[in-house]
Amino acid sequence: MSDERAIKWSYMDHWRSNGPAGPVDQWHSHRTMSAFLKQIKAVGFDAIDTFDFRIWQMYGDYGGPAKYQEMVQDHGLERIVNTFHAADYDVRNYAPHLPETHENILEDFRVTMGRWSEIELDNIIVMPATLYYDMEPVTEDKLKYSAECWNKVGEITAGSGVRLTCHHEFFCGIQSEPDIDTFYSYTDPRYVSLFVDTAQHCIAGVDPVALYDRHAHRVSGFHFKDTRNVATGDDHRHRPDSEIMAPTTGKWFHEMGTDQGLVDFAAMMTAVRDNGYRGWISVEHDKANKEGGDYSESTAISRWYAKNVLEEIYR
Amino acid sequence: MNGIRWSYAINQWKPQFDDFVRREQHERALKTISIAGFEGVELTYGTGRWEPLGNPQQLAANFGSVAGFRDFVRGCALDAVSSWYWDPAERSMEHLTGPLSPLAEADVPAIVARATELAEALAALGGSVLLVRPVGGAGDVEPLDDDAIGRLAACWEAVGRATSEHGVRTALHVDFLSALRRDHVPRLLDRTDPSLVGLAVDTGELTAGGIDPVSVIERSGDRVWHVQFKDALAVDDAEEYLQPHAHWTVRVRGGAREVPRWFAEPGVDGGLVDFAAVTRALQAADYDGWIVVESDQSPHPAASALLAGYLVQRELRPLVEGKEAA
Repeated sequence: MSDERAIKWSYMDHWRSNGPAGPVDQWHSHRTMSAFLKQIKAVGFDAIDTFDFRIWQMYGDYGGPAKYQEMVQDHGLERIVNTFHAADYDVRNYAPHLPETHENILEDFRVTMGRWSEIELDNIIVMPATLYYDMEPVTEDKLKYSAECWNKVGEITAGSGVRLTCHHEFFCGIQSEPDIDTFYSYTDPRYVSLFVDTAQHCIAGVDPVALYDRHAHRVSGFHFKDTRNVATGDDHRHRPDSEIMAPTTGKWFHEMGTDQGLVDFAAMMTAVRDNGYRGWISVEHDKANKEGGDYSESTAISRWYAKNVLEEIYR
Repeated sequence: MNGIRWSYAINQWKPQFDDFVRREQHERALKTISIAGFEGVELTYGTGRWEPLGNPQQLAANFGSVAGFRDFVRGCALDAVSSWYWDPAERSMEHLTGPLSPLAEADVPAIVARATELAEALAALGGSVLLVRPVGGAGDVEPLDDDAIGRLAACWEAVGRATSEHGVRTALHVDFLSALRRDHVPRLLDRTDPSLVGLAVDTGELTAGGIDPVSVIERSGDRVWHVQFKDALAVDDAEEYLQPHAHWTVRVRGGAREVPRWFAEPGVDGGLVDFAAVTRALQAADYDGWIVVESDQSPHPAASALLAGYLVQRELRPLVEGKEAA
């Protein structure tokens, strides 16, 4: 581990492997977790990211986040860098554009930050809006209410030393370029950051490099993943789900380095360098196993790309 | 600084003859090997148009030339093809020849010629060892008497002499079905010129054959020219290797027990090989050369390569280099 590097690489923990009874994730057992961590370490990642909902397995199977992180470190990885707060958005009780649901959201984060207090995270990542079809029409007022919600949430997470950062899925209510820009104009830079997911923006028809350049001072991290498809028609508002059920596209996400990828990672890495970013870049290939993909191979290919292509630009 | 270099064997990616034929599959496999921490790849001989990496003619057909394949390998961030495994009993569609036997003196010129072709290509690919199956399976050849051992020695010395002209060593790879499995390896080694013929230690094959690889290294360490690290999940303790056609009935089908998988990547759960002990034995023997990590068979080749890469990076290489894992 060299402290001279400007960039370190973390792996966002989507993962499936094949058990005797069918596919399992790494949380299946200590053995499958160890196999996962070994593979992440073997290809040269420095750390991992995880999901909030894994906290229960951390407490149940490992004795809490600190103990789980010890296992991560025993495998030669540095730590857990970020957690993704995958909330159950619902217009009845959990919708950032609806002020009457805000107290429920704030309480969720007060409790959540307490659960994570054993370890030091950099970011807690959120999708900053409900599903698109639950928020449309997207108005300035709704964007403003959403911003107010996340300003307050960010103040709570900052109290725990963790940045609140927003990850704009192509199927959420804040995904177009003008809506993203409006949203950030209402958020407080002290409390709300941007987490650039290269594939999600690309699918939404937003150039992730230009978006990053425009908001670089607010960016607290990245998901580097690729896509081969831009959303068309009602893909972004498909009921009940766009992410894995849109009729046009069976697999939205691909690993970096994939053929026919739409993300210009060389331009992205150049922008990361030119904006003087130092810190973590997270790699993910969300749902790599769809349509016959293999997580181990996607992990190897993406890290190969990071090492042999992107690190030649900036490291 | 020691001279051990780490490579990974490609064979696990090709379970059936119509698998692993496309360029993008080769690219993904080689990149996976590279990022798992290996600097070389070992090829396995094959023949015909569905074996793009099987022999020099197919490399040329698919990559323009052997040099074209070398550039492809390097483009995947690997330094070299470390080695090539070849069984002369495999037919050659490129040469319109059937199985060749090192026991048949009439076949020796063709065996030497074929080995020379492979060695020449291997040298161009940065490799240094041609692994050969020195004789057929125990159930498929007559018991090896002194005369037979003498003919084998003469054949492989001639091959070794020819490959050495290309800077490539010839190493005898004894598998768990081999007619040499019992006590014949020392006899054959004793009959060959140590400057022309060496031994390839395959930890998985030896273990499946009931032979401790550490004892082989301790006894014949000065003759070890190549090492393959693969794990064994079962031992042929019923000596089914003595049956005819054991390559199919025992290796592929699993014998009477229907062993589902004889071999796996080092460090696999249930693996029988003590790789730390083997590594220390190699160090004690001053081994200098390639260690090719192998799964041989794998339902999930990328996972096998990555798990093996972890073991090498975190445990075995630090043993060799005498330092703690990072």
